[in-house]
Amino acid sequence: MNIEPILLLLIPIISNVGFFKLKLIKTLSILSAVLTLIISIFLYFLAPIRNSFFFITKFTTFFLSMIASIYLLSTLYSMNYIKPSKIVSERLYYILLNCFASSMLFTVIMNNYGLMWVGIELTTVTSALLIVAETSETSLEATWRYIIIVSAGVTLALFSIIFIYYNYHTLTVTEILTKPENNIITKLAVALALIGFGTKAGVFPMYTWLPDAHSEAPSPISALFSGVLLPAATYVVYMVYQVNPLTNIFIIFATLSIITASVILTYQWHIKRMFAYSTIENMNLALLGLTIGQPLGAIILLLAHAFGKAGAFYSSGIVLKVLGEKRIENIGGLYTKLKLTSVSLLLSSLAVTGTPPFATFIGEFFILQTLIQKGYIIEFILIVVSLATAFISINYNVTKMIFTQRELTVSEEPRLITFISLVSSIIPLVLGILLLVILS
Amino acid sequence: MINSEILELLSTFILISAFYIQGQAYFKPAIYVQALQSTLIAILAFYLGISLFSIDYIILGITIILLRTVIITIFLFRGLVKEKPGTRESSKGVASELILNLAFSIIASLVVYYFVLEKIPISTEINNTLMLLFAFILLFQGLFLIISRRSTIFQFVGFIEEENSTILFGILVLSIPFLIEVSVFLDVLGLVIISSILTLEKAEHSRLDELKG
Repeated sequence: MNIEPILLLLIPIISNVGFFKLKLIKTLSILSAVLTLIISIFLYFLAPIRNSFFFITKFTTFFLSMIASIYLLSTLYSMNYIKPSKIVSERLYYILLNCFASSMLFTVIMNNYGLMWVGIELTTVTSALLIVAETSETSLEATWRYIIIVSAGVTLALFSIIFIYYNYHTLTVTEILTKPENNIITKLAVALALIGFGTKAGVFPMYTWLPDAHSEAPSPISALFSGVLLPAATYVVYMVYQVNPLTNIFIIFATLSIITASVILTYQWHIKRMFAYSTIENMNLALLGLTIGQPLGAIILLLAHAFGKAGAFYSSGIVLKVLGEKRIENIGGLYTKLKLTSVSLLLSSLAVTGTPPFATFIGEFFILQTLIQKGYIIEFILIVVSLATAFISINYNVTKMIFTQRELTVSEEPRLITFISLVSSIIPLVLGILLLVILS
Repeated sequence: MINSEILELLSTFILISAFYIQGQAYFKPAIYVQALQSTLIAILAFYLGISLFSIDYIILGITIILLRTVIITIFLFRGLVKEKPGTRESSKGVASELILNLAFSIIASLVVYYFVLEKIPISTEINNTLMLLFAFILLFQGLFLIISRRSTIFQFVGFIEEENSTILFGILVLSIPFLIEVSVFLDVLGLVIISSILTLEKAEHSRLDELKG
């Protein structure tokens, strides 16, 4: 039995022993995030690990590294961002943050569909109160919608797990994937999983919790939600998909999700909601990549999106904190006083909209290429039009916020969080350039 | 030997309790009937446990009674403090919603039975696929209760009904109580505690301008 996956799950939980002192739990949380990242990278070299508890392939380790990286960035960002509130104290915030990270890691390394379901349920339990960390009526409403909609979805997912168990009399992933069956029960299980787990992954039509939760959560939590929680759920959807690949249904739902998100993006007025809809678009594109047999493109897209979207939410967080404004039409002239934030916001918005040479572009390119190679021409056209619409909508809004003439009464940018935001938004660019060098 | 009529009778009472909650505008009786519904499911688990000589079902039954019937009910009554006991939900038209709901449930059940259950080769502990229909009706019922009400307590009861439907489905199809027990435990551990905090903070839900679009 390998000790590394166990450590990966336990370290964030153990770091909560410092709960009695704020400074201690903050330090332990950072330490835990660093260690988690180191182990995640180390696991890449140990993979594949297959035993009765864990199923870790090289593919899984990308998800682990993604989760650990954004966990680290969000923990650091929280140091200068989170203030105690009526419902969630600062200490409780870090406890929940650590448990949330652990539950996401748990979800992707388990070799059991039932435990994956438990992991997804745990992510809801640990993250719900994090949304309401900045107590307000809207955040309470968003949290409630999150709990109710996601729990309804997860209930459907449990039906799916029961069907899988009924068919195979086991829930062990490695056992089930070695003998895929094409019968009506597995079809029903996979279809229910698409709706059930798809709720958490932002798949049409159950994505409605997503813009609410992303927009009302504190920015480091929005970054975790968008950057890694949704990919973790997408991973589970993909694992269930492999039981009986219903490719056409998955393609239809992913395409519908992308179209819906891009249409809603055209009239977004809230800076964080805008990025939330962009997440729906990216996640479904990644899901499309996974289901049409382009996992490389999907992984590149997800990795770049994780950092790019985290950068977008971190930058939005700075704008919200400094200006106290979330309406896009009321934000302007950022380049005059929030120079680094402007750079980070622009870079991250270019990253999440798939601008070349960002790595998201390369991921999208691979996926679209495979889509056309496999003969899904109508879907290809619809998706390209949607991606173009989203690109224009997001970048038009972002450039308007940065470059319009407006006097700002801001003394200086908060240093640490601006730096984190900038680092996060540069990574997709660096990754893209590296990939272009390797590919060429 | 399992007597399927007992199971059908218990499942019918479970459904009646769900429809009663839908047609009830007062908080207190709805919470009590929710407790009754969970108890009925626990009785069903006990009955299966005794008939099949399975300790797993007995443990599941005890867990349901402890966590669903007792703890959830206590949490819901705690939330009711905010709502002033004895009061009713502010939304009107509860009776007409029930009529709509019944029509919806009947149609949905027919669709599920004739287009899904009848076509899949699935058997239950008692070799009666029709039994699964009860679980699906309860699931739809829970969803309908959530979307038709504004009060946190009623929406939460709807959520409990959904969870109850999974238990009903799980224990009727085959014995995987471990996973079901985990689901029951997770509800109480996390969602109920979180929701009880939210119930105390926010009693009713409506559309907010900031959460549109």
